[in-house]
Amino acid sequence: MSNYLDLDIKEIHELLVNKKIKPIDLVEESFKRINDNELNAFITLDYEGAKKRALELENMEVPTDNLLFGIPIAIKDNIMVKDLKCTCASHILENFVSIYDASVVELIKDLGMIIIGKTNMDEFAMGSTSETSYFKAPINPWNKNKVPGGSSGGSAVSVAARFTPLALGSDTGGSIRQPASFNGIVGMKPTYGRVSRFGLVAFASSLDQIGPMTRNVYENALLLNAISKGDPKDLTSFETDEDFTRLIGKDIKDMKIAIPNYFVSDVVDKDVLEVFNKVIEMLASKGCKIDYVDVNHIDKAAILYQIIAMGEASSNLARFDGIRYGLSLKEDTLEDLYKKTRTSGFGREVKRRIMVGSYILSGENAKIYYNKALQIRDDLKKSFEKIFEDYDLILGPTSSRVAYDVNINHDDPLRSFMDDILVMHANMGGFPSMSLPMGFIDELPIGMQIMGKGFSEAKIYQLGSFIEKELNLNLKVGAR
Amino acid sequence: MSNYQKTIGIEVHVELKTKEKLFSPSINYYGNLANTNCNIIDLGYPGVLPTLNREALDLAIKGATVLNCNIREKMHFDRKNYFYPDNPKNFQITEERTPIGYEGYVEIDDDGVKKKIEILEMHIEEDTCKSIHSKERTLLDFNRAGVPLVEIVTKPCMHTSREAVLYLEKLRELLLYAGVSDCKIEEGSMRCDANISISKDDNLGVKVEVKNIGSITNVGLAIDYEAKRQEELLEKGEKLHEETRRYDAKLNKTILMRVKETGNDYRYFPEPDIPYVILTKEHIKKVQEDIPVLAHVRREKYLKAGISLLNSNKLIANKDLSDYLEEFQDINLKTASNLLLGDISAYLNKNNKSIFDTKLTKDKFSLIVKKLDDSLISNKNFKDIVVDVMERDIDIDSLLKEKGIENVVDDKLVLDIINKVLNDNEKVVSDYLGGNERSLKFLMGQVMKESHGSVNPKIANDLLIKELDKRK
Repeated sequence: MSNYLDLDIKEIHELLVNKKIKPIDLVEESFKRINDNELNAFITLDYEGAKKRALELENMEVPTDNLLFGIPIAIKDNIMVKDLKCTCASHILENFVSIYDASVVELIKDLGMIIIGKTNMDEFAMGSTSETSYFKAPINPWNKNKVPGGSSGGSAVSVAARFTPLALGSDTGGSIRQPASFNGIVGMKPTYGRVSRFGLVAFASSLDQIGPMTRNVYENALLLNAISKGDPKDLTSFETDEDFTRLIGKDIKDMKIAIPNYFVSDVVDKDVLEVFNKVIEMLASKGCKIDYVDVNHIDKAAILYQIIAMGEASSNLARFDGIRYGLSLKEDTLEDLYKKTRTSGFGREVKRRIMVGSYILSGENAKIYYNKALQIRDDLKKSFEKIFEDYDLILGPTSSRVAYDVNINHDDPLRSFMDDILVMHANMGGFPSMSLPMGFIDELPIGMQIMGKGFSEAKIYQLGSFIEKELNLNLKVGAR
Repeated sequence: MSNYQKTIGIEVHVELKTKEKLFSPSINYYGNLANTNCNIIDLGYPGVLPTLNREALDLAIKGATVLNCNIREKMHFDRKNYFYPDNPKNFQITEERTPIGYEGYVEIDDDGVKKKIEILEMHIEEDTCKSIHSKERTLLDFNRAGVPLVEIVTKPCMHTSREAVLYLEKLRELLLYAGVSDCKIEEGSMRCDANISISKDDNLGVKVEVKNIGSITNVGLAIDYEAKRQEELLEKGEKLHEETRRYDAKLNKTILMRVKETGNDYRYFPEPDIPYVILTKEHIKKVQEDIPVLAHVRREKYLKAGISLLNSNKLIANKDLSDYLEEFQDINLKTASNLLLGDISAYLNKNNKSIFDTKLTKDKFSLIVKKLDDSLISNKNFKDIVVDVMERDIDIDSLLKEKGIENVVDDKLVLDIINKVLNDNEKVVSDYLGGNERSLKFLMGQVMKESHGSVNPKIANDLLIKELDKRK
């Protein structure tokens, strides 16, 4: 069996252009790898569809300016792909088949990427281990006893295990970046509005954002190039036209970097900080100007997240009622139909969040909690923007700890939020933030995040690619 | 005589006459086959997002303007969360905190006494599905889901059912003529709820809401019935409860639907999928300048043309006819209005048609009016051909010829008829010659009868007088 999928996309592209390989070779290799490794990365696989598409592409000239042509991609199972199931890893949508393509999926199809399947995740993206999935939880390829992170766990596993070079995830409070960190890959949560949300099943509408998950920084920028586009179907999206790879390779000397003291405080495990500090030392030695700063409200992100995300989720998930689509348990009265369908259809974590969210928006609580949280969120955003007046980028670890044992979060619903206390600020402020591998702890990869002001992804890629090159980590599972 | 004072507040939902729905590009049209005007957004599919129909915003600006409201320049939408099958997302997108219009009024004229009915607010929201209950099932028609509405809420400032009726008539007229809505209560594009309480002093009594009343007249009847019901209960020493009732027009009664639970909890919060809407002063002004000529201007024009107040109001209330009339520059408005409100209205009502859906072209109509004015045809002639005029692509002269009601303009033929009539009615002729002017009318009638209405009445009248003079 060939190993084309271990090559860089540029190299694969060369082979395709020179007709050394065909798209179908990539598809076959991808499915072989998926079938040979039981990692539960996918909920739905589309072998027939992928083969059919690969054969269609065979008859086309490979466009030399489109590096993504013919490349296999995995899509998180909360993003609509026409004619494929979209389960959101939930019983309530277990048999729901999408009748339309998400706007990002249209773009991906138009560019000739080949969709392999829909990836496993936490139910409705609620969780940070992918263990709340209604299906068999995905497994961390680096160590089968460790969680792959979440909620975009399946997408992260697919890229880390080299099933597909590319994957899409979604990030509401770290759901792209934390699994990227746990799996040794690169995951970007773009600026809010950079990528259309039309066709992404909403969890918390004001925080959700689709983003690329890839093996390296350059390929991440390529995929963001492909999916970032203003969309008349999403009023919160922006029309921007830029090449995110354009600053990659440019000198980073004199770049001004802020590190919030909170990001290197005792909320983060010591061994994670050790790895992070080495990277910072390296950057300082290469001429970056580094300061440690205080940011107002920075410790409140997890609380804000719980109020805002759950409030919005309780409303967004109300449509799953057994009346028009999805699971429907028929009962004599309307109220019993609602009750039975939703009780059986949603898992524990989802129900917990709907309950909390409903409570938070209820009567006077809306003022006490939700409206207040929106105010503080605004203040938090402003205090970060103030930092960005003086600094190019903010750095910190992605996660407070390395991938941990499976099944340990189950009895403590708050514990999983603690994973994301360093990455939720980007969602609160709408800022772009990327996680990239910064090293290993006990043979497990661990990531760092680079956050920038709105629409500064190119700069993030510039620094990220520099760090990637300097560290030169071997991120292929089993190769160490 | 009752010593309770009624206090009435009115809430009206009006569908905006847009081409598309409020938050999706589906067609906004009443009367199509069920569930044909809907897409994944109207159905509340997972993953969909709302867009915002700017035409609906502009119509709401026009509505707020003719109701003399202040117009908000920065607003957001809110989600109203509740579970019901006619509510596809189980939340409705509305404007809870920032209604587009606020603090307006509608002036009514109650037999010369003018009163301003105060409008608290006007907000934009999406309509629900239409539920069709059949036996044990409920069917849902999503054609209505997402149709843009404005809800107009008055202060509790009315005290008689007549005021409420006058307010609704005026409100309907204003919105109809501003092109905001077609305000058809029977099709549900205007829906009225009345809040009624009674009290012996200045404190407001317990409020009862009567929902979805089927006509403006019925709003008056429902208010009077409900006030009387409340009074009887209070006089019996019973306590009133806040409740929602409906009006049954057949029984002329209000019927309990549900008792209001304390503090309905709709868990409102700002709609995150729609950014703040900013209306610039320039845009508002531009939209306002585009408001068509309003009803009162037309009414003045009609009265000036000699049309009676009753007929003027009838024309105004039937906006299609009034709009049709607006298309003509030089026309005898009085003759035209008689035609429109007479045989043409009868035809349209009978066939449930709009005048714009008939073959009554502008050319045809102005020719008919001219022929009537010149007495080249009679009203009776028109009655005989009205169906053909409305339904066939045929010009008037050909039609008259075909129907054999071409006017007899040959003087010789007319003279023969006149002389026959005069010879048959010698007594009447001598009455006329003796000075009885009314006899002329009788003789003229006989001439028309003898000719089967085919002579030109004006010519015949002139000839008749000439012939009578000869017999002096």
